[in-house]
Amino acid sequence: MTGPRWMDFAGQAIFHTLVAALVIEALVRLWGVREPQQRIGFRLLALAWPLLVVPALFLVFPVREGEAFRDARSLFAGRHWDDLAFLGVGLYGWWITGMAVMGLALFLMDLVPWLRARSAEPPPWLARTPEGVRAEEALSRAAASLCMAAPPLVFLLDGQPVLYCTGTRHPAVVISRAAVDLLDPSELKGALAHELAHLERRDPTLSWALMGARALMWFNPGVQVLVRALARDAERVADERAASAIDDRLALASGLLKLFRATERRFPARSAEPFPLSASLAEPIARARAHDIELRCRALLAAAPEPIPLARLRFAAAAAGLGLLLFFVV
Amino acid sequence: MTAAGAAVTGSTVSEGARALWILTLVLGGAALSLVTLDAVPAWMHGVPRGVRRAASVEEAERRLQAKVLLPAYFPDTLRWPPSTVRFARDDGGSVALSFLGADGVPALFLAQTAGGEGTLPAALLGRLAVIQQQSAPLGAGSVLARVVAEDGTLWNQLEWNAAGRHFLLRGRGSLEDLIRMARSIHGGVR
Repeated sequence: MTGPRWMDFAGQAIFHTLVAALVIEALVRLWGVREPQQRIGFRLLALAWPLLVVPALFLVFPVREGEAFRDARSLFAGRHWDDLAFLGVGLYGWWITGMAVMGLALFLMDLVPWLRARSAEPPPWLARTPEGVRAEEALSRAAASLCMAAPPLVFLLDGQPVLYCTGTRHPAVVISRAAVDLLDPSELKGALAHELAHLERRDPTLSWALMGARALMWFNPGVQVLVRALARDAERVADERAASAIDDRLALASGLLKLFRATERRFPARSAEPFPLSASLAEPIARARAHDIELRCRALLAAAPEPIPLARLRFAAAAAGLGLLLFFVV
Repeated sequence: MTAAGAAVTGSTVSEGARALWILTLVLGGAALSLVTLDAVPAWMHGVPRGVRRAASVEEAERRLQAKVLLPAYFPDTLRWPPSTVRFARDDGGSVALSFLGADGVPALFLAQTAGGEGTLPAALLGRLAVIQQQSAPLGAGSVLARVVAEDGTLWNQLEWNAAGRHFLLRGRGSLEDLIRMARSIHGGVR
């Protein structure tokens, strides 16, 4: 029943993340937390568990790792599952291995296409085409709506509709001629306001930090799924910020839908390449992406979500309750 | 306070109470699920709650941080090592070893407290009916009993205190062998 300390750490990091994520998800639903910024706050609490709380518990309370605590005080001890063995290896060991494989697969599924997209990025073109001028004017109007300075615009003479923001120290908005052609002026303003909202919140920097967290916790599938959920919430926050700034929720939803339809055929093919099994995953990934877009459009067609009252008190109570519960999970 | 202000305060209080109630339910449900999940391995092994299995006598000693006293006399009709090693942490800890006979059926059971002359937990001993009881030649307070197990088999059982511990030895073989084993436990009866 003794084993390497790293195995206890990995097991607890994975198990604590799963419990914290499930508890937070249940609370978010039962408390009716719909405002995306508040959802991010609660999900960050679950994400903080494996990154901060579990290492702190190991450092500050080494007594938790003792067998006396495990046998007599804990609510749940993963090591007890080592009493059941398969092929000479305890089930706890099998479980950690399975979770690590799943975590690595989820991490690589996002990392490999991301690295490929970065290496295959076409050189930017700063062109004074009529579409480029239109995009610059729309960007200025969107920036004025958000009361921020317009960042540099990178205009691509690409055949594909492309629109995203980039840069941590030197933020910029990247747009292609096809995207400008696709969207009408109000949709273009809404879509650009969405990207500016990301820059306003420093989401590109945050995405690097989250990718770092994923790399650190590559073995933890809970972290991989949580970061994806956080990315979806960040999109919803940018949607709400842009919608309130331009005061046209419909135009933003319409632009979002047009860009999705124009690009939906590209994504399964790109994400299907990295792994032999990813061809079979392409369909569910495409469906999940379509579902995300549908949810975002539905949210934009409804009224802006109201924040729940007593959010800080709830957050503190949830953190304290989780802390108390997971202290006894080893 | 105005009526509107009082209504807002009341609404906030009820909202806070509802939020805390939901939190308690969710955390309580999670705790219950965790305890249930923790009990599954022991349940699959048929081990009662509070009792843990160990892979060996050495592991039980390490986990209880106490020496397990064994008989120096061990008849050839019994198989070594013990077929199961179980322990409980209640009341200072106790350990129980089961041995198979040469024919492969349970033949000997030895339980002892790890420290103190307290009682052995019932969960560790199993359910047996005492049909006859008398004093045993193992010192004051020692008891010799004839017990029937759930499967109807008859066992001889010795209980005594020695070396600051409480011992229970139960066997299906001869009573002479059982007493001889009890006397040979290092630190036990001389």
